[in-house]
Amino acid sequence: MQRSRREMLSILAAAGGAAGLSGPAFGLLSTDPVLAAFEAAAASDPWTLGMADAPAEGRDAVAERLQGRLPSGLSGVLHRNGPARFTRNDWRYRHWFDGDGMVHAWRLTPGEPVTHQARFVETRKWLAEEDAGRFLMPTFGSVPPNSQGMRGPDDMNAANTSVMMIDGALMALWEGGSAWELDPDTLESRGAKVWGEGLSGLPFSAHPKTDPDGTIWNFGQAPMQDALVIWHIGADGQLRRADLVGDVPGGMIHDFAVTDRSLVFLVGNLMWDRARLPYLDSFVWDDSRAMRVVAIDKADWSQRRVWDLPPGFLFHIGGAWEEADGAIRVDAALSDNARFATEGARDAMRGHVRPETDSTSRMRLITLRPGGRFEQAEFADSYAEFPQIDPRYTGLERRFTWHVGWSDNQLQGASQLVRRDLASGETRRFDFGSDIVVEEPLFIPASDRAREGEGWLVHTALNKRARASELHVFDARRVDDGPVGSWRLPYANPYGFHGCWRSL
Amino acid sequence: MITISTLVLAAATALSAAQTGEAELTVSVTGIQQAGGQLVVGLYASGEDWDAGSAAAGQYVPVEGDSVSFTFADLPAGTYGIKLYHDVDGDGDMDTNLMGIPTEPFGFSNNARGRFGPASWDDAVFTVEPGSNAHALDLR
Repeated sequence: MQRSRREMLSILAAAGGAAGLSGPAFGLLSTDPVLAAFEAAAASDPWTLGMADAPAEGRDAVAERLQGRLPSGLSGVLHRNGPARFTRNDWRYRHWFDGDGMVHAWRLTPGEPVTHQARFVETRKWLAEEDAGRFLMPTFGSVPPNSQGMRGPDDMNAANTSVMMIDGALMALWEGGSAWELDPDTLESRGAKVWGEGLSGLPFSAHPKTDPDGTIWNFGQAPMQDALVIWHIGADGQLRRADLVGDVPGGMIHDFAVTDRSLVFLVGNLMWDRARLPYLDSFVWDDSRAMRVVAIDKADWSQRRVWDLPPGFLFHIGGAWEEADGAIRVDAALSDNARFATEGARDAMRGHVRPETDSTSRMRLITLRPGGRFEQAEFADSYAEFPQIDPRYTGLERRFTWHVGWSDNQLQGASQLVRRDLASGETRRFDFGSDIVVEEPLFIPASDRAREGEGWLVHTALNKRARASELHVFDARRVDDGPVGSWRLPYANPYGFHGCWRSL
Repeated sequence: MITISTLVLAAATALSAAQTGEAELTVSVTGIQQAGGQLVVGLYASGEDWDAGSAAAGQYVPVEGDSVSFTFADLPAGTYGIKLYHDVDGDGDMDTNLMGIPTEPFGFSNNARGRFGPASWDDAVFTVEPGSNAHALDLR
């Protein structure tokens, strides 16, 4: 029988501790260096709680109210997703984005306690690896020992990036394969979503966009083919069309924007080179070329406009709109390099961050004018990630973007919430201070008739001092006043990526 | 990514190519997820033939349950590799999605798997001795 390192060490401690026997005395030095580094960091740095494994059975708790209350009218579920299992059989993933997806439901009902529930997405990968007691599949950034080959991308689908409600089902989204369907009330997994014949296993990325009329647009990357899969789904949740659109440079594309007329792709300079394992290594930084922007006509996917911007990289876009003369305005969190994706997120698995492997992103408002001309304005006041908008203004001219922010001397995540007025340049900001790591804020309109930006921001956070996850609610117009209500769980969840709001 | 055009078999033409031999190979396939259709099976006798998609023998095997077995008779003893797919809709083609990734189950001898493509000959090769031989594949 094969024993895990921990079992062996505890047996040795019990049997031989008095005699001073240690693991190395038994030749047990084959410790995974990444796991060893992480455990050493975790012993002293509570930031690592956000990179630790969540229990396989999931979590359920009632949150403790810290202050304030739920605004009347704010009633629903905050679903979130993020990597939450990094270690099996004493071997730790090499990249933050590898962890298996855990989907959360924070239930917010005025007059009732805030509750939290979380379950791992039961992907094929998760079920097989639970059964085997070790990692079996290569992942985005790791090749576990003795890993198997793949029959298709869904074999390594971690379903760990975002969530979205489509036609009454909760979809756990990844970006290399199928959406994974869950029951939104129980969080039980139903399986890979197949949209139609010839469409199984296709990439369905983690940032679908919903037009004001409910139409859903999404894409999937086919970088080795310099192509994208484009998805068009009706407000009824039924597929309208999916097709391959070629001649889009094979860069790593995480997010995109829609306007009322166009699908807008900013192709950063982390470019497909050739197939390697781990998959991430198939991409290399190439700043000898421009950052290509491609705007595809929603009505005719063969029609496009292109712009060539200076090299750069991005994960996330705030939003975009199109002006009367055809100019597209888009705001995004851009960085000058992709070091975080290629290196920093690997360091994170060791429990460390280093300035030299980090990327610092700032919000930028880009104006793409007819004829390939463009202008860029950078908001230099703080670093920025996870931009969000009033979802009713998707594709339409708008004023506000909310995002998390941090300053120069912070490497371990964001501490601020920021509201940015694109028209006036005004910012409103709340800084939680160094104990709190702020996660993506979602904007929830106060009502259907509320003006843009009139509503609430809901976000989760890790409180490092309390070693616990928290949920905070802000008046989205007065971010600088601090949260109107705050709740805390009896445990710390791993950091998540993205969420969606389901009104009830 | 996974392009298995080589699995679109030249095997049919090889069906008649069986020669008088000293060995017999019985292949059992388990883990078939869906009844119906057929297994399309190619047997390859060298790494060059494996890469070229040039089968030494081939079979179409009807699928009725979750497992099947079939036999290649009169084979020369030697090394072989198997590529097969479950032609679920029985149209004679290995169906793929928009990106060319197979959407019908496929497998290789030794249950070998590819990384971004078909399994390699080195991973799939096995030995057929004189007399009776058995090889098991699982499509799960």
